[in-house]
Parts: sequence; structure tokens; C-alpha cells
Amino acid sequence: MVFSFIVIPLLVAAFLPLVGKFSKKLLPDVLTNAALAFLVFNAILLVKPIFNQGVIVQNLNWLGERVNLQVALDGFNLFMLFTISLVSLCISLFSIDYLEHYGHKSTFYALFLVMIAGMNGLVLVPDLFSVYLFLEVAAVASYALVAFGLGYDELEASFKYLMLSVVASAFALLSITVIFGMTGSLNFQAVAQGLQDLQARLVLGVCVAFFIMGFGLKAALVPFHAWLPDAHPSAPAPISAMLSGLLIKVSGIYALFRIIYSVIGLTPALSQLLMALGTISMVVAALLALGQKDIKRMLAYSSISQVGYIVLGLALGTPLGIAGALFHLFNHAVAKGLLFLNSGSIQHITGTRNLEELGGLGKMVPVTAGTNLVGALSIAGVPPLAGFWSKLIIIMALIQAKQFGYALVAILASILTLWYYLLIQRKAFFGRVAEKWSQVKEAPFWMSAANVVLALVCILVGIFFTPIFKTWISPAAEALARGIQQVLMWGL
Amino acid sequence: MAIQIILLCGLVIFSALAILLKDLIKAALSLAVASLLLGIIFFRLAAPYAAVFEISVVAGLITVLFILTIALTKKGDEVTEARLVKLAFPVFLILFLVIDGLVMKSLLQKIPALPAGPEAGTFGEVLWKQRTFDLVAQVGVILAGVLAVLALFRKKEEDKDE
Repeated sequence: MVFSFIVIPLLVAAFLPLVGKFSKKLLPDVLTNAALAFLVFNAILLVKPIFNQGVIVQNLNWLGERVNLQVALDGFNLFMLFTISLVSLCISLFSIDYLEHYGHKSTFYALFLVMIAGMNGLVLVPDLFSVYLFLEVAAVASYALVAFGLGYDELEASFKYLMLSVVASAFALLSITVIFGMTGSLNFQAVAQGLQDLQARLVLGVCVAFFIMGFGLKAALVPFHAWLPDAHPSAPAPISAMLSGLLIKVSGIYALFRIIYSVIGLTPALSQLLMALGTISMVVAALLALGQKDIKRMLAYSSISQVGYIVLGLALGTPLGIAGALFHLFNHAVAKGLLFLNSGSIQHITGTRNLEELGGLGKMVPVTAGTNLVGALSIAGVPPLAGFWSKLIIIMALIQAKQFGYALVAILASILTLWYYLLIQRKAFFGRVAEKWSQVKEAPFWMSAANVVLALVCILVGIFFTPIFKTWISPAAEALARGIQQVLMWGL
Repeated sequence: MAIQIILLCGLVIFSALAILLKDLIKAALSLAVASLLLGIIFFRLAAPYAAVFEISVVAGLITVLFILTIALTKKGDEVTEARLVKLAFPVFLILFLVIDGLVMKSLLQKIPALPAGPEAGTFGEVLWKQRTFDLVAQVGVILAGVLAVLALFRKKEEDKDE
């Protein structure tokens, strides 16, 4: 059941190019969406066992013989799997209509599913080297997907992304190699135990620095963010949504904090360093977003800024901070997915993403405008939408931990966020309708439907905040906090 | 020890040449020589399987693919690089070598000896039984690579509806 998160996307991806020979559109659409709907359903079914047992460990037999195919599912990775499956399903629904002008749907969907299998694998494996391998599965698929349009900008952005991503992977691999050299093991628990017995603080410090550089590059934390504002806007809208909504969080934040919490341990010095990095990202990217004219570029900078909030909460290390950060991770995945898809709708409707050329679209395309407003207000932290609660919890956690300076910066960055999102609203949707947009029509059905579903998630999660927080976020935060307790602290 | 140092210096020199040389064939051959030297280093460090894969796949197969691709493609317009970009790699390399020389020796001495033997077993056991999950991920990487080639080298076609 747990293995299906990796096996089903890979199997469907392997068959899609063949299926594409017989049916160019219908079957690839149906197969992909059905596979992802199954994964969402599967994640929901696993909530109860995880709630009762805490951890599920599954072994798989290979042709009758027991092999080392083991996955460990706890509240944290179930939460990540659910987020990945839900957002991916909405993105693939959007792609039904959006991909009409790209063609080659079967290849696109196959790469899309391989990327999802890579992310799910990364979330499930309890082993350092397997983390690296699944990181590469998702990354290789994402390079091709960024360049899928085959235009000059897409290819350039993909190449830049590839080059920086390879450097990131090299740093992570180097660190894994040194840790393997020291402990003789790659399994999270065995490595954590091995590191406790050793007194190698300096070398371990270098390993942590390499992990931060590697995964920081993947998560696009400032100052490792240069690739993201090029790569994310150049990709087709569904892939921008996937990269900004999910990939930077899974291959950057999840991997980094899983290793820190379950293997290395969070020291006060490391906590302060990561909190500083998170805060710098939050502020610098918000300021850079203000000056952008391209909607997708503005959204890309916004992603860097919001990743800063998540890192700030996770690096704080208190139960409330972790819970707030994980909740914000989910909210940002949904809302940013929505906003990138929405930018795809705007481009589909008008042919441009330049805010200076747009204006008054709200009257002409109310569904696109309405869903954009919901996503923007959720990320900006306006009540009662989901983003408000997660930001509130992070700020409360900072105040509880007496980190008043960080709390103040988080509030100010939130105001900046609201400012640039209101700029999008004013320039694109409000005001007088320019003559050239007087005949535009709403985006096709599946594109609008995906936007509406994600907007509804933003609203409903905000309204039913308490039960959702108890069912999904608390078990995830507890699983992470247990990881911290298991690992003996080491001092830098 | 002297042979090891010569091999390592050769590895760094040929790796740098692979990046610095303008002629793509020469660059590909430099990379192949670097891989060959790395393979020999692996062999001398008692990692024969890694050596065999490095020499046969990286030095052999991939070089053939590179040279085949270069031979089949036409030379395009010359791209002139800015002087700053041209200088970036050599400066970075020299800086790295200096830092490496100053720091790495003392850092390596601080890495404690392995407390127990690493995950052991025959090559087949390790590959098929202990690292099975890695094989699944390898399938994923290969699939992603094949699909990437299909996506990036596709012909733009008018999709006909069924």
C-alpha cells in the first residue's frame, strides 16, 4: 500500500509513451488523473493507521525472496505524500486543457509522473544514499519539463537550472560520502547512532555546511536562489506550479530538515544559522518581488520568500514552530500551485504575463480573477484563509520562544507580501478594461476547475482549521519532534 | 604513494582540460582520460567494481556517445564568451586547489577511523539484497532520461484528436 506511492507513478509513466501511440489525448489524460486520484485516496486511507500506530514499516518480497525494500511511514511523510498527491492531481487536471497547444501529452505526463515518483520516493526512504538517488529521479524529470516548450528561454532556463542543481547534488553527495566513511552506514537511525559514538564535531560541521549548501540550492534559499526566478517562469504553467509548489519543498526543505532532525540533530548554533537564512530569504525575495512586471517572475520570488517562513519555523525547532512551518508548507503548496496555474490561465486568455499590459480582467474572467484573489490573500496571510493561520502560528511560536526580532521581521515581510499581491490584483484584474481585452473569454473548463478546487482548499482549510490541524499537521509535527528527541545533541 | 599523487594530479589536469579546451572532441577525450585515471585510482583503493564501471561506462561508452554526437552535429555560430566568464573557471579552480591544499589534509586527519566494517557482503548481495531500493531509483533515473530525450528531441507535430 505504501509502495504504491512510488510504484504506480513509475508504472504508469513507463506505459504512457506506448499508450500515446494509440491515443494522443484521452487515455493519457484519464490514466494520469486516475493514478493521482488513487494516490490521494491512498493517503487519506493511511491517516487512521498512522493516527493509531504512529509509524508503519513495510517490507517487500522480491520474487519470493525477502529483499531490503523497506519503507517507514510516519505522520510527517504521510503529510508530505498527501500534499504532493493533492496538488499534483489539481495540476494534472489543469494540464488536460493547457497542454492542447504543446502536444505530446503522453511524454509530458510520463515525465510528470516520474517526477512525482521521485518526490514520493525521497519522502519515504530512510536511507541517505537513497535520498540522493530519488532526488536525482525528480531532478532529471524536472530539467526536461522546464525545457518542454523547446523555446530559447525554456532551454536556457533549464540549462541554468541543471548546472546549479548538479552543484547542489554534488555537495549533498559529498556530505553523504563523508558520513558513510565515518559511520559505515547510510540508514538514518544507524548513522544517528554512529555519529553519537564518534567525536568528530568539526568534520560533521563541514558535512552540515555542505548539506545546507546543497539542499539550500534546491530550496532556493537566499543566497542560493539565482536559478529559480529564471527556471520557474520559463517552464509551462503546470510545471511552474509543480516546481514552486512542491519540488523546492520536497528536494530542499524536506530533505534538509529530515536529515537534520532525524540524523544530525539541531543545535542552537545550527538553529540560529538556519533562522537567519530563512529570514534573509523572506525579506530579500519579498523586496525583489515588488519590482517585477512578469507575473510568474513575481510569483517565483514570492516562493523564495515563503520558503523563508517555512525554514524559520522549522529551524526554531519548538513543537509550535514545527507545526506552523509544516502547515505553511501545505498552504503555500496549495496557494502557490493555484497562483502559477492561474498565471497559466491568464497567459492562455491574453497571451501575455506582463502586468503593465494587463488591466480590468476581473470583469471579463471572474473565475480566474476570483481564484487568483483567494490564492493571493491566502499567501499574504489574510484571515480567514489558510495562509493566515500558518503565519500566525509561526509568529506565535517565535514570540513564545522569545525571538521577538524575528517575529517582527516576519510580520513586516507579510505586509510586503500583501503589497505585491495587491499590485497584481490592481494591475491585472481591477481598473478599466483595456480595449484589446474587451473580447477575452474565461479559461477552458479543466483549467478553471483546477483553479476552483485549489481555491476551495485554501478557503475550507482556513474555515475548518482546527480539525485539519489536529488530524494532519499535529501527527506530522510530532513525528519530526520525536526525531529531534531521538538524536542526541552535539555541540558545534 | 608517488604513483597515487601522479594519478591524482593527472585526474585534476585532464578534468580541467575537459572544461577549458575549445575543441569538443579534444575535450571529450580529456574527460575519457580523466575517467580512466579515476578508474585506476578506484582499483588501487581496492574498489574493483567501481573501477570496472568507471572505465567501461564513463571512459568507454559515454566517450563513444559524445564523439558520435559531436561527429553527427554541425558546427554552429561561434559563441563569444565574456572575458569575466572565461576567467571564472580557472580562478575558481586555483582557489579551490589552494584551499584544498591548506585545509583538506588536517580535516581528513580529523575523520575518525571506521568503528565497524561497512555494510558488507558480496557485490551481488549488496546490489540486489541490501541496496534494492537504489535499483528502483535507478530505474526511475533511466526512465526519466529516456523520456527526457523523447521530450526534448521531439518533432513539433499537430496532434490529431482521436
